[in-house]
Amino acid sequence: MKFVKAILFIAITAGLVYVLDKPWAPAPALGPFLSPFCGLWQNSEKVIDPKTRETLQLDSLRDEVTIRFDDSGVPHIFAQNDFDLFYAQGYITAKDRLWQMDLQTRAAAGRLSEILGPATLSLDQQSRRLGMGYGAEANLKVAMTDPRSREALLGYTAGVNAFIRQLSPKDYPIEFKLLGYKPEPWKPINTMYMLEQMTLTLAGRSNELAMTNALKKYGRETIAKLFPDYPMLQESPIIPSGTAWDFPKLPVPEAAPAMIPGDSVALSARPLTALPDRAPKEEGIGSNNWAVSAEKSITGYPILANDPHLELSLPSIWYQVQLHSPDINVYGVSLPGIPSVIIGFNERVAWGVTNVDADVFDLYKIKFKNEYRNFYWHDNQWKPTHKREEIIQVKGQLKPYREQIIYTHHGPVTDSDGTFGELPNLAIKWIGHEPGNSFITFYELNKAKTYDDYRKALTHYVGPAQNFVFADSEKNIAITVNGKIPLKYKEQGKFVLDGSSRADDWQGWIPPDQNPFVKNPPRGFVSSANQSSADTTYPYYINWSFAPSERAIRINERLQAMTNANADSLRMLQNDNFSVLARTLLPKLLSILETRALTPKQKAAHIVLSNWNYQNSPESIAASIFETWFPLLGQAIWNDDFSSPEAPMEYPSRDRTLYLILKQPNEKWFDNVSTPEKETLPDLVYQSFNASLDTLTARKGAMSPEWEWSKVKGAEIRHLSRSIKPFNAPPLRTGGGSSIVNAMTKRKGPSWRMVVELGPTPRAYGIYPGGQSGNPGSPYYLNLLKTWEKGELNELIFLTSPEQKVPHLGSTLVLQKR
Amino acid sequence: MNFLIIAILSAILQIFAPWWVIAIVPFVIVIARPSSGAFWSGFGGIAVPWLLYGYYQHFISDGALTDRVAKIFMLPNGILLLLVTALVGGLVGGFSGLAGYWVRQIFRRNPAPVPGAVS
Repeated sequence: MKFVKAILFIAITAGLVYVLDKPWAPAPALGPFLSPFCGLWQNSEKVIDPKTRETLQLDSLRDEVTIRFDDSGVPHIFAQNDFDLFYAQGYITAKDRLWQMDLQTRAAAGRLSEILGPATLSLDQQSRRLGMGYGAEANLKVAMTDPRSREALLGYTAGVNAFIRQLSPKDYPIEFKLLGYKPEPWKPINTMYMLEQMTLTLAGRSNELAMTNALKKYGRETIAKLFPDYPMLQESPIIPSGTAWDFPKLPVPEAAPAMIPGDSVALSARPLTALPDRAPKEEGIGSNNWAVSAEKSITGYPILANDPHLELSLPSIWYQVQLHSPDINVYGVSLPGIPSVIIGFNERVAWGVTNVDADVFDLYKIKFKNEYRNFYWHDNQWKPTHKREEIIQVKGQLKPYREQIIYTHHGPVTDSDGTFGELPNLAIKWIGHEPGNSFITFYELNKAKTYDDYRKALTHYVGPAQNFVFADSEKNIAITVNGKIPLKYKEQGKFVLDGSSRADDWQGWIPPDQNPFVKNPPRGFVSSANQSSADTTYPYYINWSFAPSERAIRINERLQAMTNANADSLRMLQNDNFSVLARTLLPKLLSILETRALTPKQKAAHIVLSNWNYQNSPESIAASIFETWFPLLGQAIWNDDFSSPEAPMEYPSRDRTLYLILKQPNEKWFDNVSTPEKETLPDLVYQSFNASLDTLTARKGAMSPEWEWSKVKGAEIRHLSRSIKPFNAPPLRTGGGSSIVNAMTKRKGPSWRMVVELGPTPRAYGIYPGGQSGNPGSPYYLNLLKTWEKGELNELIFLTSPEQKVPHLGSTLVLQKR
Repeated sequence: MNFLIIAILSAILQIFAPWWVIAIVPFVIVIARPSSGAFWSGFGGIAVPWLLYGYYQHFISDGALTDRVAKIFMLPNGILLLLVTALVGGLVGGFSGLAGYWVRQIFRRNPAPVPGAVS
């Protein structure tokens, strides 16, 4: 009996330990996770006592580094040399953002399935087929040949790894504990993966398949009318019209006739191995930046502003830092995983970026000799392909997933138009594969002192092409549409290109000094909001479509009118909620409605819209109606002509739609071809108006404060996992919208707002939604959110020495050589 | 007394050893030091330090993390998560203590007091 009981209770205890030590997906192993000695409880953090002074002995440092933290949690790093500076940046960034760095590099490298299992295999396949690794490896080779980037990468890597090495499992960020894996050592190529990921986010899409489908259905003439290469209704280009292009122009390659797919050709069924359908280019990822000249500012020096719009996440994509060494003193935001500051200022200059919608992602139709795909036809001969094997380890599966990717000189053959059976036959030519050292651009900007330094820094840059705005304490302002931009014939890459024709290859590059730029323009300001880089007088082709013009128009109107500007004037412009779209279109729509008999409900909505001041403010009901209505009107016009699930077609742009409504009200496009009746513009306006009220009523009940724009939009900031909801930010109350300067949509928006007053000593302000720490258990996880939500900025503490006595400065961390 | 010894010893050991040391400590202590209430001294010896240490972590961060993690497990707040945590640790400790008690019985002649009663 005693034996039985002894064995029974030993078995129960052992059984409990076994069950608690084993992960039960999606739950982690509960024993170690719940134990207050090693589990989740350990990730609770308290506010650091400002008087704390801690010293750490670390390997491979060359000299002593002092780090001061301010009360926002921003590190101010003081080092004696580049290696130590980036070492400390790596160490401190890892301290706050290790899991983010791990997840983002895994996502870029196609290694999520190692930790998340088969659920993420298709995401990994996409990264692999796109050649993210191919691009990262090519870039790393170049970076390692320049001693400056080599030093930065090695220093950063050593710093991140110094942090990881001293972690015990109880110190792992909470996400590692939840997902049940441990951090792995950092490698220099991870930085390249982060840069690849940015290139993918900002310049990793193409619409030429959809354009080719449309071309096939409507023919050249109609497509030329509906998809013009420059906005027809309104535009306010980045480089002001009238700017002289005084450089010796290169000859532009000769245009090859666009391939028109034959009627027998199916442009539909995608083989399993092709890239999955990527979301089409959507509005919301874009940015604003501008600088006003000394003449326009009250300080007598230029003022610069930048707010990049990206998907908002927790932790934030950005991490604030000040980097100081004998030849550098820079403050701004960095991207965790990349040494240096990406957007910021130093004692002499400030800079910011917005995306250029350059067409640097083209599809080439490949003619293979046979299904082995060892040879492809190019320039009148069979040329050999190259193969790259991608191996994806999948958690819970014994054998890794393997796939052979075929490469031509264009790039990986991973997309498909469905004409080669089960096999992909479209090669991707993408700037993300172009070897270069874009990091050096940021490195040199961090140290830049003059306008010439800025121009020189930009020449190293490959992609994703950015509009680099600039201002300095010598009272210069400038903006450069910058990146390695292929020298193309007009409309090259608007449709699928012929992969067998040499004439369709990228023929070279626009020389860096001939990229569109302007310095100290007479109008006294420079700006960009992702719109057309230049007007039609610019001699080279960059793309046929850019972000819609409304944000740019509003920014330029307000900057034109601005006098005696200070940082607060620019901050207010960043928060501007005025809808140029509504101003352009709504009067016409309302006048059409007035010709109809309206129900009381419709009349009420009509009155709300008539009294609207075009402000997309958080409490506006009119904004909700208009923002719901306009997309429905667009669909009512185009769906019958362009909706085609089996062969998706590009829709005409917003500008083209507005032009049609305002200037061509009798075009055939207003008729719905799927009904026997003949619809007119007024019919569609009325129908879509009704549909928008129905939509809002279905979602929010009869018109009431529930219809306020902030509630209808329902902006949210999710944790980077996108699935751990309790780590999300609380609900937000924000105005703005996708065509608004305050470009806050449901999930995308101003990921960093910065305003810098240049001068003998710069004064700068900035904010991002979130906090420096990626730990949901830290007081610095969400500490900046409220200030951001209110549209306010924090003054950024810019130190000149670690001993400097200024308010808001807190604890000190000293790193010493072991 | 065993309760205190288990509590102190397990707390010290957990700083270095893996979490499952809580299944060893009560077992060994109860074998070494016979007493009544093997289950509850094991339960309390593990649960009480878990409760106190967990509450300290919860308190210093104002529940920032614990309240959020509680919601992942469909619990309303961090305090309830803490009680669940203590219960889990306590059960392991308790059964470990019981196992220790019966193993000791194998090597004893005189019948011992009924396990389970509070010592």
